[in-house]
Amino acid sequence: MSAPFVQATNLRRVFDVSKPWLNRVLEGGHLEYLKAVDHVTFDIRKGETFALVGESGSGKTTVARMVVGLLPPSAGDVLIDGVSMTDPRQALARRRLRRRIQMIFQDPYASLNPRFRVDAIISEPIRAFDLIQGERDIQARVGELLSLVGLHPDDRLKYPHEFSGGQRQRIAIARALASDAEFIVCDEPTSALDVSVQAQILNLMRDLQDKFGLTYMFISHNLAVVRHMASRVGVMYLGRIVEIAEGRELFANPRMPYTKMLLGAVPDLAMSGRQRIPVKGEIPNPINPPPGCAFNPRCPLAFDLCRRETPELIDGVACHAVNTAPVPA
Amino acid sequence: MSASPLIEIKDLRIRFHGDDGRITYAVDSVDLSVANGATLGLVGESGCGKSVTSLAIMGLLPKQSAEISGAIRFGGFDLLTMPDQTLRDLRGNRLAMIFQEPMTSLNPSFTIGDQIIETILRHRGGSRKSARERAIELLRRVHIPSPERRIDDYPHKLSGGMRQRVMIAMALACDPRLLIADEPTTALDVTLQAQILELMRELKAASGAAIILITHDLGVVAEVCDEVAVMYAGEIVERAPVDELFSAPQHPYTVGLLGSIPRLDYRAEQLATIEGMVPNMAQPPAGCRFAARCPFVLDACTRASPPLVEVSVGHLSRCIRAPLELLVS
Repeated sequence: MSAPFVQATNLRRVFDVSKPWLNRVLEGGHLEYLKAVDHVTFDIRKGETFALVGESGSGKTTVARMVVGLLPPSAGDVLIDGVSMTDPRQALARRRLRRRIQMIFQDPYASLNPRFRVDAIISEPIRAFDLIQGERDIQARVGELLSLVGLHPDDRLKYPHEFSGGQRQRIAIARALASDAEFIVCDEPTSALDVSVQAQILNLMRDLQDKFGLTYMFISHNLAVVRHMASRVGVMYLGRIVEIAEGRELFANPRMPYTKMLLGAVPDLAMSGRQRIPVKGEIPNPINPPPGCAFNPRCPLAFDLCRRETPELIDGVACHAVNTAPVPA
Repeated sequence: MSASPLIEIKDLRIRFHGDDGRITYAVDSVDLSVANGATLGLVGESGCGKSVTSLAIMGLLPKQSAEISGAIRFGGFDLLTMPDQTLRDLRGNRLAMIFQEPMTSLNPSFTIGDQIIETILRHRGGSRKSARERAIELLRRVHIPSPERRIDDYPHKLSGGMRQRVMIAMALACDPRLLIADEPTTALDVTLQAQILELMRELKAASGAAIILITHDLGVVAEVCDEVAVMYAGEIVERAPVDELFSAPQHPYTVGLLGSIPRLDYRAEQLATIEGMVPNMAQPPAGCRFAARCPFVLDACTRASPPLVEVSVGHLSRCIRAPLELLVS
């Protein structure tokens, strides 16, 4: 295996959430910062699916936006196929790289322009990157893409409102494939869909991956969906990756107490009555996170070190209890 | 099932008359009953009529566009023929509802205390002071920390999970006999979902109220329900005790639905999918409404609408080919 396709190192993103200057002067108050993402490092190999899971507000979407270059990181860097997403000196190389990166968004009702016909939506990347010349060839390619995602080539003459949520997500996938993308970042691609439609879209995404050797970065809060899709999984909590492991390993032997709690919270279809860690507390306020490990107020294994020092990600787990002491089973 | 159920729905049919004269057949011949202290899960995908059914029970459908027939018997009365004034006395009192989105169902311009107290004063009367004490007690019952202070908070100050707890406290304000929960955890993260489900179990055990839980998530059903009714295109296609529905589903739609859920305990190569799409409810198909998507379809299926028949004790299926075990082996 050569160098990883995507390398994110020490990503960090801070948002200024202070009140406006005048209000601060008149009403008092000081600058406030929200550290949405901190010390996030991961690699994605070519052809694999890397997933980020976590609850709302854990920073997974912010990471995705930094990876595709929609949001500049406050610190750290992302290299995609060796090209930095932040270095101004690599702007030209980055522009060439753009074609190979695409994104699929959560809400297919918001991500397709309602005034565009489907052919205009799907051909937009083709025209923007000047991939095919001649209107007839472009239309032929659009029809081909539509059949690839399970729609009819004649659907290109319709408008988005004529389609159901699942079909719209297929259109969004066709658009992502239009520029022959190699790396697709999928931000909660199925959470707005019904389960039976979700199954169709997940199957389609896996088929396309096999067919074109696509690399996915998959963002989801649904652990079962991640289990189905991902080869490697990173678990995020309050802006940090707290555990990162091969999918199979993570779901069979979660090590970090937060991962265990998260897995235990998923409703059990098999009703096997498995042992679970009861869920305690809520995510703390990210503007004012607890000192040390952010999970320590909810953690059953927390000890004094956890309240003082933020644990480093060692061997795939960021947890003092796991990394320093033998864990009681 | 006990001798006299708390609520009994007989042959409920709901049609909507659109502005353009189009008729949508939202719910068709639904029969349901829930015993005291039981939890019924009403499952189905978007547009199958599960929410409309619950709104009909609460008398919340618009009178001018919704045409309702059938009977909903609750404590000896028919809710459909009851005068509005009597229904208002029942609603929020004996009948209570929890909605999906706690942010939109709480009034942002009143404190949560005001909103709970309003319910208590409307149905129970008494002094504002005693109502406030009761409200604090209710907030404590749903595990809101320091309820004496929280009661004067506005909804925007609470997190999503806390808001849903407030909604539950409000629903419980007058000790309802029947609690309808419409997707109570869909807007929440898994860990919060686990907490809310645990709370609902706890409160049910304490109050003995019957619950109708409306959800699209079969995992949630497996966790909390005693009996399940699966709806498809406005009809109940299967009804069974919960463990039997999961171990031996008797309607092809239920089988497809179960197969399409990604699992946490193993990774399937492909998820089972249900081909095709839900029928247009402005022109429901004659015969079985699932026929166009069913792998076991026969000529007879498309000719006449199959009745809901008992396959085994307490297990009903609207499929002429049930029991399905004979088809696959």
